[in-house]
Amino acid sequence: MNTLVQRFSTTGPAAEIRKAKEVLGEEDDVVDVMGFGNLASGVPKFSIPGVPDPSAFLKMHTDDFADPSCRIKIKHGTTTLAFRFKGGVIVAVDSRATAGSYIASGTVKKVIEINPYLLGTMAGGAADCQYWETYLGIQCRLHELRNRERISVAAASKYLSNLVYSYKGMGLSMGTMICGWDKTGPAVYYVDSDGTRLKGDVFSVGSGSTFAYGVLDQGYHWDLSDEEAQELGRRSIYAAGHRDAFSGNTINLYHVKEDGWKFIGNYDVSKMHYDGPDGRGGYGYDLRVEGKSSANPPSSA
Amino acid sequence: MSIMQYNGGSVIAMVGKDCVAIASDLRLGVQSLSITSDFEKVFPVTDRLFIGLPGLATDVTTLREQFRYRVNMYTIKEEREIEPQTFAQLVSSTLYERRFGPYFIEPVIAGMQKTPAGGYAPFIAATDLIGCLNFAKDFVVAGTASEKLFGVAEGLWEPDMEAEDLFETISQTLLNAVDRDAFSGWGAVVHLITKDQVITRKLKGRMD
Amino acid sequence: METAFGITGKGYVLIASDTTAVHSIVKVKTDVDKIKELSPFLLMATSGEPGDTVQFAEYIERNIRLYHIRNNFPLRPPSAASWIRRSLADSLRSRKPYSVNLLLGGYDVSTYKPHLYWMDYLGTLAEVPFAAHGYGSYFTLSLLDKYHDPEATVEEGLATLKRCIDEVSKRLVVSPDRFKVKIVDKDGVREIEV
Repeated sequence: MNTLVQRFSTTGPAAEIRKAKEVLGEEDDVVDVMGFGNLASGVPKFSIPGVPDPSAFLKMHTDDFADPSCRIKIKHGTTTLAFRFKGGVIVAVDSRATAGSYIASGTVKKVIEINPYLLGTMAGGAADCQYWETYLGIQCRLHELRNRERISVAAASKYLSNLVYSYKGMGLSMGTMICGWDKTGPAVYYVDSDGTRLKGDVFSVGSGSTFAYGVLDQGYHWDLSDEEAQELGRRSIYAAGHRDAFSGNTINLYHVKEDGWKFIGNYDVSKMHYDGPDGRGGYGYDLRVEGKSSANPPSSA
Repeated sequence: MSIMQYNGGSVIAMVGKDCVAIASDLRLGVQSLSITSDFEKVFPVTDRLFIGLPGLATDVTTLREQFRYRVNMYTIKEEREIEPQTFAQLVSSTLYERRFGPYFIEPVIAGMQKTPAGGYAPFIAATDLIGCLNFAKDFVVAGTASEKLFGVAEGLWEPDMEAEDLFETISQTLLNAVDRDAFSGWGAVVHLITKDQVITRKLKGRMD
Repeated sequence: METAFGITGKGYVLIASDTTAVHSIVKVKTDVDKIKELSPFLLMATSGEPGDTVQFAEYIERNIRLYHIRNNFPLRPPSAASWIRRSLADSLRSRKPYSVNLLLGGYDVSTYKPHLYWMDYLGTLAEVPFAAHGYGSYFTLSLLDKYHDPEATVEEGLATLKRCIDEVSKRLVVSPDRFKVKIVDKDGVREIEV
């Protein structure tokens, strides 16, 4: 009874909200199907702050790079990599999330399992990547139902690229690799929130990407065996976790083959440093060169 | 990015029963890039006195040299070793000399102070970068992980810990605090000071 | 972009530096020698503010030489590093600081040990088994963590150095096209063609 009164009254909080929505030109809650949020309707819709320039407003409160004292710190700092080789695609990521110098989490899942044949990596805004790659998963499934065949990696990545491009300038932040296996074989696409979309063999994204490239480039060739490729992915993320303050904690390793992706394992970066993946010698420089000396005394001494 | 966070690094000192401990991490970085894992920030002053100098790395070295010089001059002139209490004042005035262009260091001092009765009592102190002294009875912290160190130390520290308990407490405090700080870590070193010996131990820490 | 590397090996230090002088968007010169030979067993690679680099390097060079003349023996690498560091640290708080980053490589003839020091314009000093300055460090430090060997022969050391140069050429946006490489070992300092 009360709800009925509220619905038609011209005073009180419910009426205020209704008025505000009319002023802002927002539609009523019809997009929220069954209360599952607007993602369920298939067409996401976002409420925009009622200020003349919403993206400048957002930037003002979240851009901690330009203004470290701002209140909302968006988490960043990451190392992710993906590369294509004879045996499929290797995807490896770290698991650290930092807010300023604070390590907010060491157990972030930066590989998003879009569907059994597609993986997306996460760098930049965690929420942006999670939300849009989940959304991409929905669209990929709809494509399957409509066309009776799986979506290609090229199409899926193009879908995401077009989508984030439509929000360009609004503050989305993502640098992602869409990896999978389709009719053309293994495929890796780099997609970011600027609208860049690149097909390639080797990509690394994030603050630690340079360190990962250093190891990855030197060890990479097309004819890597599965074991060698997995080791290279793991070793490269370790290298970044070691040298980059904003990367580390654990490594998540995936391998995409013809029959879809497989999770290979979760590896502690510090354990990799001291013991290595199988307990036979760590990756750490000090351990590797232990007992060695660059001194060169005359042999007669 | 603050100049105090440019190179990273943290120091903590704690009081125990007839002992004190001072510990630091070993990272030297340039913002997010880690350069080396053997950059010591804690230095001996006398046989029973240590100083930790977290902050800008160039000033770590400069101040270490400055303090060594001034303590040596004191020892020659006074013909005796400097006491922790006196050294704390020396640190304070050395920093205040640069009031309008400070060294970017927040020193932590730990040592055993001679008592009038002839024994030794634990002494710890810390100052800000222009020399405001803070004497504490439990623990003092400084560096990029100072907030995290405060949190862990508040939880773990108890009064009158024996030397080995103090070692365990300061080690766990440091190691767990720097694991939540991006700019500290890469190994640690602990100095445990009692009236007649100093035990120095290197700790294995997370290397990321 | 300016890049310099240093790596130690069995009884030697290799120092490599790019050879370009840049002004605005122009490469003014492509065969600049940025590695100074300070004394018979000491090399110093400089990078940073144009003008400052050469002025500071020459100031250091002459004072190291003066010490050698006055005392009849040169400063050993650790002492030289300390003195150079102090010069930079003092300069930092002067009216016009030098903006110069350094790699200092030396061979200590009395202990038979090679020494490599990483130093920045603030006066931060660290002794390291391998080092890099400039954007190249972001690609090569991880590489050297994996491939550097403190007991490598000169040939092996040069192969590792070549990996670094290749990596920088592959990934750095404006990569230097030529590198000058110098070595210091028990026989003194000399240039090596790569």
